[in-house]
Amino acid sequence: MQEELMDILCCPVDKHELELEVDDREDDEILTGRLVCTECGEAYPIEDGIPNLLPPDMRDEAPA
Amino acid sequence: MKGQEWYQADDVAEAYEDKRFSGGGRLIDDREKRAVLDAIGPIEDKEILEIACGTGRFTAMLAAEGANVVGLDISTPMLQQGRQKADELGVSGVELMRGDAGRLPFPDNHFDTVFAMRFFHLADTPRDFLREMRRVSREQVFFDTFNRFSTRSLYNWMLPMGSRLYSGTEVKRLLRDTNLDLAGAEHDWIFPYGFYRQIPGGIASAFRRLDTTIGSTVIGDRLASVSYWDARV
Repeated sequence: MQEELMDILCCPVDKHELELEVDDREDDEILTGRLVCTECGEAYPIEDGIPNLLPPDMRDEAPA
Repeated sequence: MKGQEWYQADDVAEAYEDKRFSGGGRLIDDREKRAVLDAIGPIEDKEILEIACGTGRFTAMLAAEGANVVGLDISTPMLQQGRQKADELGVSGVELMRGDAGRLPFPDNHFDTVFAMRFFHLADTPRDFLREMRRVSREQVFFDTFNRFSTRSLYNWMLPMGSRLYSGTEVKRLLRDTNLDLAGAEHDWIFPYGFYRQIPGGIASAFRRLDTTIGSTVIGDRLASVSYWDARV
């Protein structure tokens, strides 16, 4: 995902802002990391450049 | 949600487009792309969200036309196909992510257009999904449905996961309940998609001509198996 996507993303559960934590990037492209909700603290993983914003209850029942 | 597990499988994702949109299926792909372009156009510089973007057939096309598109899907393998397609086309302005259509990770009124193709037949709670689409759109919501009183009913039982069919009255009630105004509707495909997928391209074209000929008569709309709904916030 591009870093500028942060401008529009919010927590799917409480719609509060997310904070980006980067593990691995290529220029502006975030490859691995997580998005952490500033309100509820839930962490949404970024893997292979694709952020996973499924709410936690769906993340478990929908593997892959 | 129907298809939740089905579309998570790598082999299903990889075979998805070949299985559905080759041979006679190409006519379906063309018609759906035209429906999306006609409804959303002009495309350039629009902020667009596609719900259940799958392998990114529309996401990549809209980005190539100059839109900024976010594609959301529940399945990683499908999104990986979408990423590959966008990269092959060399388009920028595409962001893909996993997410739940019922709880979108976007603020209110963010997008010009929010649309979903081939989604509502899998939706178990269509009203909730439509309400959420409306929340994040400031102007347009566009989607298709498979129709209850049509040939679709006949072949529905053959599908691996079945699908939810809608009457026109039902869709209009959904729009009213979610505070959306109907701006336009098109009704098409007297022969269902499954029929076109099973015949070679040449024969399919002949049937398609017959299909659109009947479709343009007074009874055409009532026999159509697919409807495209264009609504305004």
